[in-house]
Amino acid sequence: MPQLLKRFLLAATALVACAGSAQAGSITVYSALEEDEIAAYLTAAKKAMPDVQVNVLRLSTGDLGARLLAEANNPQADVVWGFAVTNMMHPDIKKQLAPYAAKGSDTLPAQFKAADKTWFAATGYVGAFCVNTEVLKAKKLPMPTSWKDLTNPVYKGELVMPNPASSGTGYLQVAAILQGMGAEKGWGLLKAIDPNMAQYTTSGSKPCKMARAGEFAIGASLAFVAMQSIEAGYPVQMVIPADLAGYELEASGLLKTAKNKKDAERFLDWTLSGDAAKLYASFKEMTTLPGAPQSAMAKKAGLPADLTKVLYPMDFAKSAKERDGILKTWQASIGR
Amino acid sequence: MSALVELKPRRPRLTAADRLLLAVSIGVPLAGLALFFLYPLATIAARSLSVGGNRLGFGNYLAVLSSPGIAIATWNSLILSLATTAICLVLGFAIAFALQRTRLRGRGLVAVALALPMLAPSLVQGLGILFILGRNGLVHKWTGLPVDAYGFSGLLFSDVLYALPQAVLILEAALRHSDARYFDAAEVMGASRLRQFFDITLPNARFGILSAGFVVFTVTITDFGNAAVIGGNFRVLATEIYAQVSGQMNFAMGAVVGILLLLPTVVAVVIERVATQRQFGGGSESAIPVTPDSLPARDVPLGFLVHGSALTVIAVVATVVFASLVKLWPYNLSMTFKNYNITVAGGYAPLATTLEVSLFAAVAGVVLLFLLAFAMKRLPPKLAKAAYLAAVLPVGVPGMVLGLSYVFAFNLGDNLLGMLYGGSLLIALCNFYHYHSQGFLTMMTGMRTVPPALEEAVSCLGGGLAAVLKDAVLPFIGATAVSVFFFLFMRSMVTLSAVIFLITPNLSVAAVSVMRLDEAGFVSQAAAFSTCIMGTVLGALVVMRLALRRAARGRA
Repeated sequence: MPQLLKRFLLAATALVACAGSAQAGSITVYSALEEDEIAAYLTAAKKAMPDVQVNVLRLSTGDLGARLLAEANNPQADVVWGFAVTNMMHPDIKKQLAPYAAKGSDTLPAQFKAADKTWFAATGYVGAFCVNTEVLKAKKLPMPTSWKDLTNPVYKGELVMPNPASSGTGYLQVAAILQGMGAEKGWGLLKAIDPNMAQYTTSGSKPCKMARAGEFAIGASLAFVAMQSIEAGYPVQMVIPADLAGYELEASGLLKTAKNKKDAERFLDWTLSGDAAKLYASFKEMTTLPGAPQSAMAKKAGLPADLTKVLYPMDFAKSAKERDGILKTWQASIGR
Repeated sequence: MSALVELKPRRPRLTAADRLLLAVSIGVPLAGLALFFLYPLATIAARSLSVGGNRLGFGNYLAVLSSPGIAIATWNSLILSLATTAICLVLGFAIAFALQRTRLRGRGLVAVALALPMLAPSLVQGLGILFILGRNGLVHKWTGLPVDAYGFSGLLFSDVLYALPQAVLILEAALRHSDARYFDAAEVMGASRLRQFFDITLPNARFGILSAGFVVFTVTITDFGNAAVIGGNFRVLATEIYAQVSGQMNFAMGAVVGILLLLPTVVAVVIERVATQRQFGGGSESAIPVTPDSLPARDVPLGFLVHGSALTVIAVVATVVFASLVKLWPYNLSMTFKNYNITVAGGYAPLATTLEVSLFAAVAGVVLLFLLAFAMKRLPPKLAKAAYLAAVLPVGVPGMVLGLSYVFAFNLGDNLLGMLYGGSLLIALCNFYHYHSQGFLTMMTGMRTVPPALEEAVSCLGGGLAAVLKDAVLPFIGATAVSVFFFLFMRSMVTLSAVIFLITPNLSVAAVSVMRLDEAGFVSQAAAFSTCIMGTVLGALVVMRLALRRAARGRA
């Protein structure tokens, strides 16, 4: 028995020893970017900065936000990379960020970076409908092209969208409608769609996943998920709503408490480099870098080359500030 | 007969070694509970009371209680949890009875089927139910009927599937030991089998039934996973926490709902009162175990119920395993192994870490729980009551709240506790304390079947506490301790909601891989990875069972 106990204690010590990890030449990065793109970016970054080990923790936007807030007293990350800008603007997260003008950020248009230099966004994602063409055919439904189309009673019980109270994607869709049409008309549209809505889901990608599985005909979700579903072979068509397409920026920034500031800054510079821009072209439907080419995936999915034509120019500071009020109204008038 | 005459237990004089043993068996588990459960929980309570700056107050509570939708969510949560509890108790008792007291065929199969929901990542259950009962699921395809599982009924089904094995775990412990002499006496007095069941079997299992009901109710009311997948527009309190924390990044409100969810655990006070009462039956040193018999009038309907439940569970899991082997569910059903080639999320590497973490959680857990349950009877009543409440409280804490509380409590920088942060030991501890209540209540239920007279006899014969443990307690509690060990191991292999806040860039677990694959849109790969986890756990269980049997034979 003592032998067993000894081994057990040894195992326990080994488990504790795993804890300490920070070391020179390595940085810790928290990111909400997608798994496969992170892998591709890191391979390229390694070539550009062979002396830096980039350790990435990937979490969904909601989980990452909670993690960053919870660790506020003793932040563990050096860099936040590709995180929804609306969440980045949360006062308790923003105050963890240090101003840093990454190389190349001067070429970004003003709406894609913070005036106080705490964040910049090289990429973003766009709201879109996932339409299941088989369900549409089977139920003889017309192809919708806009939010307004969704008020048509033929879609009753066939629509799903994320709940703005629990999903950033849901909120960006609601915020785009309210900003684009004005509060009164916007709420009118949302209330008109509501009777058709089968469900408001917890997560933002869920509506698209439900639509592609044939559970519902149309899921209001993200262009990225739609394109990925088409790629995987699901009978899905992506529709960017013609009236109002919301979008979210993926912001990056340096933490005040970064243990390895020098390498963290080099990494942030790299995310705006030509190497990175080339990769964005193969993963992103939206980049903010001037002159970056459109991705093949975006072209295949039918996105216009000039996204600014379909995207409503969102005011993110406003959208973050009005969040509480909008959600309260949503919960009181529509919320289920 | 000790059971009928209330004898004041004689307290034999303790030797120094006994006193040390007693101090350790009380002190270590209680210190663990305080440090790894009560202390983190206190950080959540502090958050719920913090109203800006350093001020404290009930402002957040008022805000939550007056927010629109909270009344509906509370009502929904209560109805759902009560319905789940009622179904799980009836079904769970039938299954536990069939497993322990009858010679029903295929009991092994039933036991394995019931383990599946405990060792399957939550994604499996969600996917399985949708694949079968979704609007575009198998039932719809085969029958053409409009099926809609979203909402109360689907959620109820899903919650029963999730909670039933935990109820059976405890109820089995309650029915494991019996005394045939009571039944023989009743037989002689002309009592019918039905009468015997209601007058002997049921009252003897009272503590187990109460405990199982408590566990089912609490795990249902705190569960977020099932509600998010299949709840549809049926809002419950646990989704409310998620909306506040992940959706709106409002910790204070999330913390308030987390604290409010602890309220149902006050029911535990009642169970504790029952726990201190003696029960007749079961625990007698000269007990003659009831020989399981066959009784067609009882066994045929029981068989339908029990095998029906087992087959339902198997169908749900098997559908997901099948989906992991086809190209594109439900559109292209040609077979492929392609989905098992996991390229993202670190491949299969996290599986090894998870095995290590789970073994540690199960070994440490079963030892601590055993010591605590053993020490309970020997504590002064007031301390015992407090220890009891602390021990059953964890089940009332939603995983997300527990995970965040660990960040608050242990992300401290370079002091001794802070060193745990970011390590796998903390994940193991978090997993153990997450499931502490179920393990503790099972152990306590089992402890009640240990005959007090036997313990007294051993100590009268000059045996110290160690001898009491070895000769009187272990033979009765062995099987129950093993089931607690497996329970902790299985849950630790797949639990996700708390762990998600404790992983680091270099340390991840298998359940997180499943979540990542699903989030990245690779549902088939997520199903494939889940299948591998289930295979690994089942394999590990078989190996451990064999090792145990070997050890038992070696001793005999």
